[in-house]
Amino acid sequence: MSGIAAHARRGRLTAAAASVLVLAGILLLVAGVRAQRRPPQPPASAAIAYTPVSSSPPGSALPGSSQRVAQASPRPSTDMPSTATPVTGPVLSRSVPIRLEIPELRIRSRLLQLGLNADQTVQVPPLAKDSEAGWYKYSPTPGQLGPSVILGHVDSAEYGPGVFFQLGALRPGNTVSVTRSDQTTAVFRVDRVVSYPKDRFPTLEVYGNTDSAQLRLITCGGDFDPSSHNYQSNIVAFATLVSSHPA
Amino acid sequence: MKKSLLLIAPAVALGAAALALPGAASAAGSTHYQAELNPLNKSSASGTVMISLNGSQATVTESVSGLADKFGGNPYPHVQHIHIGARGECPTTAADKNDDGVISTTEGAPSYGAIGATLSTSGDSSPAAGTTLTVAPSGASFTYSRTITLDAKTRAALADGTAVIVVHGLDPATLSKQAQGEKSDLVPSLPLAATSPALCGTLVASQMSSMPGGSADTGGGGTSGVEDQAVLGLGGALLAAGLGAGALAMRRRTASES
Repeated sequence: MSGIAAHARRGRLTAAAASVLVLAGILLLVAGVRAQRRPPQPPASAAIAYTPVSSSPPGSALPGSSQRVAQASPRPSTDMPSTATPVTGPVLSRSVPIRLEIPELRIRSRLLQLGLNADQTVQVPPLAKDSEAGWYKYSPTPGQLGPSVILGHVDSAEYGPGVFFQLGALRPGNTVSVTRSDQTTAVFRVDRVVSYPKDRFPTLEVYGNTDSAQLRLITCGGDFDPSSHNYQSNIVAFATLVSSHPA
Repeated sequence: MKKSLLLIAPAVALGAAALALPGAASAAGSTHYQAELNPLNKSSASGTVMISLNGSQATVTESVSGLADKFGGNPYPHVQHIHIGARGECPTTAADKNDDGVISTTEGAPSYGAIGATLSTSGDSSPAAGTTLTVAPSGASFTYSRTITLDAKTRAALADGTAVIVVHGLDPATLSKQAQGEKSDLVPSLPLAATSPALCGTLVASQMSSMPGGSADTGGGGTSGVEDQAVLGLGGALLAAGLGAGALAMRRRTASES
């Protein structure tokens, strides 16, 4: 074969190889960029308490604000003695929860029971590929009077998005159903979804006593601090029991 | 499913394993109480108190805002206590027996009782420190966190729901003319405004049987930062190689055509 022809063929081969490499490179870059995922963060409007009638909402609270947010039930006036306030809404008996479903977010999860470690931190749901949510067992069972607490991972380093990755996309009015071991399903309506900085977490607002059967769904949110490997905020969805039915 | 490839993945996974919930840490075997503080005497303040009781040790965590800010140009000291031994209630305006528009500490006693412990910032926390202004938190807003010893009577009041938190100290400008001229029923050298109750709340048992502690580490950051760095890295490398090979091919073609 003549030197010129071989040279030309090498040139064509190089050009062909170049095209393949460029194409492959672009495809991978596009795939990599499109695969970037971020957990949704609740907007300020999601912190405004849900009201089912068409009245104006009570005083709203912005995420991280130190103002006390108006609860669904009225606070005692200055002229009322601070005795026990009456219970509002339905209340179920105690029964350990086994399953959670959030239809609007297509979330379904078995519920583990989370206790306390010796150092008073809450036990962890295992960081598996299909991580499950857990009910904090020292809170009321879902449906009982008080704040029932359910936690789930937003993500993990090993497996990516967790069971509560979408929690920040919950909105007032959405439904959360929890099935208990007594085969009743407690149906909760989301009141508000708020992101709180962890260093200004309003403990009593989230874990304090309530006068109705309430739910607290908690995960992480806000900015991720790579040096401490921690998210800087917690996303909390507050929900109230509205009804129940056989599972 | 692409795996995230953070270089510090093992350390991050460990970090994510320490799941704990926000709030004050509580020791095993503690009982928990909480009080919502409501305003008295036309105060516009508000606040909350949590108490974690372990034996005789009470860890008190408090947050208040909207109190009177200054007293004679200095931060206004607000003496505060756990009151016990009465009805475990906050007084209503019906308690204002002398009709001066102010429920004094004495007038409120039939509702909330006498001092069981003083929530002082340092030193003595017994009833004896009840009117010591120098160890009272001060200003319009403050947070308070301290572990103090409670005596048996105060612990019993907590258990039977008759323990009441009272924070004292009113803005004199909110009082009637008559009340502005009155002396304190507790410390005659002080005005009535200085020692009259501004915030009150009954301590009730928490609906949680154990209050969560720490921060909720429900996330290991698997979706933060740049994910799939190897994919992106490989894509970039291939692209660069392809462009380089393309440039080479162009040069060869140009050379062969010359």
